[in-house]
Amino acid sequence: MKLNIEGLLVYFPYDYIYPEQYSYMLELKRTLDAKGHGVLEMPSGTGKTISLLSLIVAYQKAYPLEVTKLVYCSRTVPEIEKVVEELRKLMDYYAKQTGVKNDFLALALSSRKNLCIHPEVSSLRFGKEVDGKCHSLTASYIRAQHQSNPSQPVCQFFEEFDAVGRQVPIPPGIYNLDDLKDFGRRKGWCPYFLARYAILHANIVVYSYHYLLDPKIADLVSKELAKKSVVVFDEAHNIDNVCIDSMSVNITRRTLDRCQTNVETLQNTISRIKETDAAKLREEYRRLVEGLKEANVARETDIYLSNPVLPDEILQEAVPGSIRTAEHFVGFIKRFLEYLKARLRIHHVVQESAPQFLKDIYEKVCIDRKPLRFCAERLRSLLRTLEIADIADFSAITLISHFATLVSTYSKGFTIIIEPFEDRTPTIANPVLHFSCMDPSIAIKPVFGRFQSVIITSGTLSPLDIYPRILDFHPVTMASFTMTLARTCLCPLIVGRGNDQVAMTSKFETREDFAVIRNYGNLLLEMSAIVPDGIVAFFTSYIYMENIVASWYEQGILENIQRNKLIFIETQDAAETSMALEKYQEACENGRGAILLSVARGKVSEGIDFVHHFGRAVIMFGVPYVYTQSRILKARLEYLRDQFQIRENDFLTFDAMRHAAQCVGRAIRGKTDYGLMIFADKRYARADKRGKLPRWIQEHLTDGSLNLTIDETVQLAKHFLRQMAQPFRREDQLGLSLLTLEQLQSEDMLQKIAQIAQQA
Amino acid sequence: MDDQGCPRCKTTKYRNPSLKLMVNVCGHTLCESCVEMLFVRGSGNCVQCNTPLRKSNFRVQLFEDPAIDKEVEIRKKVLKIYNKRELDFYTLKEYNDYLEQVEDIVFNLTNNLDVERTKQMMEQYQRDNKDIIQKNKAKLTREQEELEELLLQEQQGSEQRRLETLQEEQRQLQAKRKNKQALLDELEISKLPAAVLLAQHKDRASQLETQIEKQKQNVKPANIFSTGIMMGQTVSLVSVSRVEEVLYVYQPLCFDTYGPPIPELDQLGRLGYLNHVRTASPQDQAGGYTSGLACHRAVQDAFSGLFPS
Repeated sequence: MKLNIEGLLVYFPYDYIYPEQYSYMLELKRTLDAKGHGVLEMPSGTGKTISLLSLIVAYQKAYPLEVTKLVYCSRTVPEIEKVVEELRKLMDYYAKQTGVKNDFLALALSSRKNLCIHPEVSSLRFGKEVDGKCHSLTASYIRAQHQSNPSQPVCQFFEEFDAVGRQVPIPPGIYNLDDLKDFGRRKGWCPYFLARYAILHANIVVYSYHYLLDPKIADLVSKELAKKSVVVFDEAHNIDNVCIDSMSVNITRRTLDRCQTNVETLQNTISRIKETDAAKLREEYRRLVEGLKEANVARETDIYLSNPVLPDEILQEAVPGSIRTAEHFVGFIKRFLEYLKARLRIHHVVQESAPQFLKDIYEKVCIDRKPLRFCAERLRSLLRTLEIADIADFSAITLISHFATLVSTYSKGFTIIIEPFEDRTPTIANPVLHFSCMDPSIAIKPVFGRFQSVIITSGTLSPLDIYPRILDFHPVTMASFTMTLARTCLCPLIVGRGNDQVAMTSKFETREDFAVIRNYGNLLLEMSAIVPDGIVAFFTSYIYMENIVASWYEQGILENIQRNKLIFIETQDAAETSMALEKYQEACENGRGAILLSVARGKVSEGIDFVHHFGRAVIMFGVPYVYTQSRILKARLEYLRDQFQIRENDFLTFDAMRHAAQCVGRAIRGKTDYGLMIFADKRYARADKRGKLPRWIQEHLTDGSLNLTIDETVQLAKHFLRQMAQPFRREDQLGLSLLTLEQLQSEDMLQKIAQIAQQA
Repeated sequence: MDDQGCPRCKTTKYRNPSLKLMVNVCGHTLCESCVEMLFVRGSGNCVQCNTPLRKSNFRVQLFEDPAIDKEVEIRKKVLKIYNKRELDFYTLKEYNDYLEQVEDIVFNLTNNLDVERTKQMMEQYQRDNKDIIQKNKAKLTREQEELEELLLQEQQGSEQRRLETLQEEQRQLQAKRKNKQALLDELEISKLPAAVLLAQHKDRASQLETQIEKQKQNVKPANIFSTGIMMGQTVSLVSVSRVEEVLYVYQPLCFDTYGPPIPELDQLGRLGYLNHVRTASPQDQAGGYTSGLACHRAVQDAFSGLFPS
């Protein structure tokens, strides 16, 4: 259908539209008009992706000079594929309606592992191996050697691409990963490099967060993206953690040992090259004396996305004299390494700030701040000069050099924690140095600064105002949309007590309490008897789940449950879990019914959808607080309090509730779907917890569904399930939660739509 | 670290966890007991390289690689002499060249290359730059100064925060105690039934609670300027639109007195008006009074309104 969104003609590839989709597009259009950033929350299963795509594509077509590119960031490869499929549908619709052949280029980008078509390289199992092997076939000096010595193996696909691929633009169309591979095979070009080159002039790019947020990768892939792009972060409720992870460095004893071998290799290579090809080192030396001028010019003319690892001040200065020659630099790294080793040889936990670390390092090994800051850049230059083929081997030393640069650049927002052993195993020495970023805004700042509009969207972003605070940006729109429903298809219940009136909670003090565990067991047992097909239960941690399941086994609860349904358990092992999932689905399919026991923050809670009969009820046992004794978390909480005025408790609750909402949201993946959402902890009934649930869940939480006992829950659930089991046709939805074009244009519907969006 | 051991007696850290390794200027290790035994007389030769050593120069090995210990030792010595700061140079390039030279010296000394010549060079340099070395001894480099400042700030910040939270807690505690005391007092004095008083107290307590909550939230965010503008926000710098208007021109006042023209102040004497008023005494004149002023006023009063309008 063709929509008119405040004067913009939008092609929407379906015959019906949800009212909230229309409202979402309105907000999105306003954001794009204002050229600002936006935070939008809309429940999953209401067609966020297609609304985003159809509006932004329409905007691109209408104002080709205002928005030149859409960068769509998602989390996993299946999600990326899903987006591309939606896009294909949209483009087909465009072609059918307008009769004009599609002139858009849209493509997905993923790692070499997913895109390689070289017969040997692509057969490798791990991403790192593929990267390393690829590099050893495509590095510039390898190819130079190939010129003189044809027996040196190179990748023919890359050679072919390099020879002609850049001149011939890839024809417009929609390419997912398989399409790219097919295209590559047909032409004999390397699909990975083709895609990386093509994103520069593509209209739509779909890839993973890391290509934009991780400074090491962003520098390679995304730095030349145009300023007038719209960046969308989908499923962005965890974006702060992604930012923090991308800037944090963990150094273990093993890293240092590997680094030691790296240093030795470097030393040997240098002495060898000195004998054979001293001119090369001299050439590098001359370049370093000149300074990093090239990079500086590029950044000043605003061609590149700036990189937090390569701070601006560095570009304006030459490399300090003390690390200019290769030997001196290796000596420098050695000293730094030995210093780190000495620091890791401790018997108690140390926490210090970056300035303290820098002071100590000067006193112990006479290393100044300035050369440290240049460390990452200097190492890169050295590795390039020495023509070391397999960069993957040097990951340890690269990590150390990044650490050096970061620690000397940022005096705030980072903390250094050295732990001699893990908390659980205090007798086994396993020293780790955590250089942990506490401020997610550092990593994402270049993105907000560079691109004209950044949209952060997800099904669960409540409370909305916390994201701009922790990411430090100023959105022009912040809105939360609810689901319009023809029938109340979600039923959140908060169970606070067992039948024996003992409070049900996963609070630390009552964790081991027998009565609580038994009550949890009874709840699951009762539910297994009345809920058809699949039930998904989430626990707060793996350990807690193990304890409870063991206890249930002893009490005979498991046996009783198994009379009703089969039980599957998620474990930390990915293969095991995917096996369990598969069998779980099989059991749901054939009517036997199954229960999946899994863990909040685990793989199941984040990426797997339980549509329709795969998840008729979700039970959240306890509040999934993060492990609060971790020192990294404590440091981060303190930082949040001091810098952003966010209290510890607020943040912890926010974090727990977003995960709880993620978990229970797994069951409702559309309007025809229905499911119970059972929060089994009395703490959920408190206003501070309840208020942090997304609005689309909160709306259905009435006073009657708070602090229930188990049999009350069973009664409510039975009633709900019976209602939902009645036949439900599309006609029932039409006009209420599903609209045709005429219905959409009616006056009172437009008024209703205006109320869907709640501005924060 | 466990596999490290004394090269002479072959004891390792694994077998003797209290093993203490020592290092001297030549960069070769010995364990503490071997040092005690070999250097009873206070000096001797290194077991591995025969360099004459003093016992007093042995120190505990900090790093796994004894060469690093040696290098750091040398570096500290060299930096004591080569202590020029960035400000002592005209250009950055000169400073960088100087740094490289220092690095070269350290490198040569640690790897025993050209030791004699390097030492001579150092001595030469020390003689030439005596004043600067002396002067710079007390000075920290700019970067270190920055670091010190940051550390100080950090300390002060954490101290202040600690105090603030302490005060806040105390204040809350006091308020609660006061509230409780008030309840007890009321129960003692008041004639109202206890249930009502308790209900009132409960009300007050919850109010107090919300107040405390509010106060907590009211902590002034540090990222707002005193004008209320967020830091980092781009404030539009479009100039205020100008209103075009005619400039103000002063026009002397002139009013109609409806009477004959009044003589000017300085003409009063000439026209003889002053003869009819009392002359000002010197005391009057001290404050700036002249008889003309009063006269002028009187004439004005008398003349105005004489003509019928």
